[in-house]
Amino acid sequence: MSTHTAADKDSAAPANNKTISLPISRVRLIMKSSPDVSSINQDALFLTTKATELFVQYLAVSSFNNGSGKESNSLSYSDLASAAEETDTFHFLTDILPKKILAGDYLKTLEQMQDEEADN
Amino acid sequence: MASSSGNDDDLTIPRAAINKMIKETLPNVRVANDARELVVNCCTEFIHLVSSEANEICNKSEKKTISPEHVINALESLGFGSYITEVKDVLQECKSVALKRRKASSRLENLGIPEEELLRQQQELFAKARQQQAELAQQEWLQMQQAAEQAHMAATSASAAQQAGSSQDEDDDDDI
Repeated sequence: MSTHTAADKDSAAPANNKTISLPISRVRLIMKSSPDVSSINQDALFLTTKATELFVQYLAVSSFNNGSGKESNSLSYSDLASAAEETDTFHFLTDILPKKILAGDYLKTLEQMQDEEADN
Repeated sequence: MASSSGNDDDLTIPRAAINKMIKETLPNVRVANDARELVVNCCTEFIHLVSSEANEICNKSEKKTISPEHVINALESLGFGSYITEVKDVLQECKSVALKRRKASSRLENLGIPEEELLRQQQELFAKARQQQAELAQQEWLQMQQAAEQAHMAATSASAAQQAGSSQDEDDDDDI
């Protein structure tokens, strides 16, 4: 595995390469599974695929830079969840990555909800 | 790689592709497994987001196919305008690579050999291939025959030995 790519990249900035690494056919399948989407121009597909790559890079980098793992050089689930809450453009992710809560807290909340319903 | 469930909603980008991207973007960073899984799902979500937005823009434009323009406008309105320059560059690059490939293959076609000659060469190759296939098939058949004969002989001599051994005191009239 070549390591030269790590050296010539600024670790804070996403890589700027002119190729597409994600599988385009899979991106097309995902796009078509969106409701109402009928046909997609091939070039539009390329653009979407590359945009998705950039998104992954930005998500990873900003989660890491603002996260708690920076000192220990690690990236955790909660770093990503925080980035989703704090960055406007990542708000759409909050539906699929709720901040993890402890089971005990969840059960407490559940009990409270049940109590409220019983009172009504 | 193909998903075993037919459910469209389970479609995601392959984990390996995501892992590779994460490794290239954050070299030497330890990334938790559940974080990786999350990135995979975020990808799908992002694609849906862009597709839906581009689709709406497309519908308003009364065109039936989502065009590059629609995607670019979608990115802009979703707040990903900073991606636009780079994705456009990549599109240009992909197109010019494809163009070069097409030129290269047409150069091959113009080697100067007339079509009839090419056709003749092709027929020759096919005939040779057919002959080789036939010879191979015949060899296999012969081998199978030999193997079957040997197996038959082995079976009969084994049963003969068995019969001879188990009926020592009887008159063995059985013909093998």
